[in-house]
Amino acid sequence: MSDEKMQSDCYDPAKVTPALQLDVEQFYYREARLLDNRQYQSWLALCSESIHYVMPARTNPLVDNSERGNESMISIERELEGADSTGTPIRNETYPYLMLRVERSFKPNAWAENPPARTRRIVGNIEILDVQNDRLSVTSAFHLHYSRPGSENFLYAGQRRDVLLRGEDGYKILDRVIIMDVAEIVLPTLGLFL
Amino acid sequence: MNIADVVNDDATLISRRAWSDPEIYELEKRGIFGKAWLFLAHESQIRESGDFVQAYMGETPIIVSRGPDGAVYANINSCSHRGLPVCRSDHGNTTKFVCPYHNWNYDVTGKLVAIPQERHVKGRPDKSKLGLKAVPRVESWNGMIFGSFDPEIESLDDYLGDMRFYLDAFFARFPQGIEFYGAPQRWKINANWKLPVENQLGDVNHGPFLHAAVIPPEANAEVFELGLSVVPKPGHGATFRLMPEDAPVESVAWGFEGLATLLGGAEVQDYLREIQAQAKERVGPLRSRMKGLTYGVYPNLSFLWSNTAFKVSHPRGPGQVEYWSWSVVPADAPDDFKKIMRGNHTAFFGPGGILEQEDSEAWVQQFQGSKIDYAEDRPYFYGLGLGEEQERSDMPGLVSVTANEFYARHFFRRWRSALEAAQG
Repeated sequence: MSDEKMQSDCYDPAKVTPALQLDVEQFYYREARLLDNRQYQSWLALCSESIHYVMPARTNPLVDNSERGNESMISIERELEGADSTGTPIRNETYPYLMLRVERSFKPNAWAENPPARTRRIVGNIEILDVQNDRLSVTSAFHLHYSRPGSENFLYAGQRRDVLLRGEDGYKILDRVIIMDVAEIVLPTLGLFL
Repeated sequence: MNIADVVNDDATLISRRAWSDPEIYELEKRGIFGKAWLFLAHESQIRESGDFVQAYMGETPIIVSRGPDGAVYANINSCSHRGLPVCRSDHGNTTKFVCPYHNWNYDVTGKLVAIPQERHVKGRPDKSKLGLKAVPRVESWNGMIFGSFDPEIESLDDYLGDMRFYLDAFFARFPQGIEFYGAPQRWKINANWKLPVENQLGDVNHGPFLHAAVIPPEANAEVFELGLSVVPKPGHGATFRLMPEDAPVESVAWGFEGLATLLGGAEVQDYLREIQAQAKERVGPLRSRMKGLTYGVYPNLSFLWSNTAFKVSHPRGPGQVEYWSWSVVPADAPDDFKKIMRGNHTAFFGPGGILEQEDSEAWVQQFQGSKIDYAEDRPYFYGLGLGEEQERSDMPGLVSVTANEFYARHFFRRWRSALEAAQG
């Protein structure tokens, strides 16, 4: 999603009706419930088979002195090394990879999750930025509490930038970019479904 | 402390303290990270004058940069005035490094060029003596830049020795060699730095067990049937499958770990077929049959051939490691291909990797096991395959099946000598 789009600071009431907002919010609440209930197979059904699922790396770039005084100087976008960058994103996956992860979750020898982690996520700040035909650009924020037996508890925080595809059987996730708000990764894994 | 009590003579028994004792960690800092050649960066990351990347030598932060003269510089990232880091970015291009505290200015080679306050005092400090502390030895092999704090250390070429034969089986396979694709992934794991090292040095035999949920049985069977483990020099190691001479091109060029290749379409597959077709000419008949698994370069550099990643295990005390993992791609390949190979690294390894999550869990749990009480009389058993390794006429080093733990015994014998030397 472009920087420009992120900065559009007002929704279009003609496109984003209360009914649409409710519909989209319900989609995200359901998604969160499925994930926290470990119903990953049901969750995968919410993903388009053309899904592009990306978690950019978040680096510490040089400050550009010529940008001084402008919001762009400390823009988050400067920190991200995503799918199109020549850096190395943390994740850059398509449907078969998500399928592999879902399959793994239901095998007893997926040792990092045996016993499985307990998660609870709050998804909020659900903002429909744009609607183009059957495609919705939506950002949201999440806090996720992650607790694995024998380990500490962890807080995951981040933003999702999604493109949802509206079809006859509801919404599907077509694109997901996950911006993690961690400068030092001390979390047990970023391989979970976020 | 008697290090012989920590590692016995044939290194078949290794005390839990080797992993968890702070006193041993201090000896490691002096005897290993203060002495060995340590990997810093790849030249492809700093092509232009002023390009720099951050690195570590043990816990010591290093700036690796390309000077206006084209040479590579490695300096400790700490101001000569009050010790603050003069560079806060992971990578970039600049003409100077500036300390935020009093704005002492250094050029990209580490030379001190300005002390803003000096015009207010009469004396002029000798700036030539106040540059950033340079790493005393910096050398490259095939674009791989290493540094050492030991001015007397042997040349990097000698240090790598016959490890170069095995590294080149990958590097020289591609018409223009390899390049590092941008910055590394970096993350912290509450484990001892040596276990990620050992894991990549030769321990491919955890695959069928720890990773059984993901790695298919046929891929594991290939490792058991065709896998070889080599110690070209104590502390270094290479594992690979030596494919039969009549193996189909595809089975050598990609396998399970080539999921990205399988999904990548004709363009990717054609490139790899072409590379494999040229392999005999580039690396010779024996090495053309090598389908790499994991490598290790003493003390803490790893190469995961199967997912084209270089990794460094930076120690952060006995109980934490900062793990760095770079995507490595053929320099001549199309950009799309590079991105697909990068995906084959990040999907399976790195902080979000589907295989790495099991590894990290194992490493964290091993550190917990190394700290428990009342088990001092139960050192870890490293004796599998003792004495079964042999020389072969067609490849350098000692060679054995992958289940033989000789790669670890050689590593720990070298480790033991290094710690004994540090004790003086």
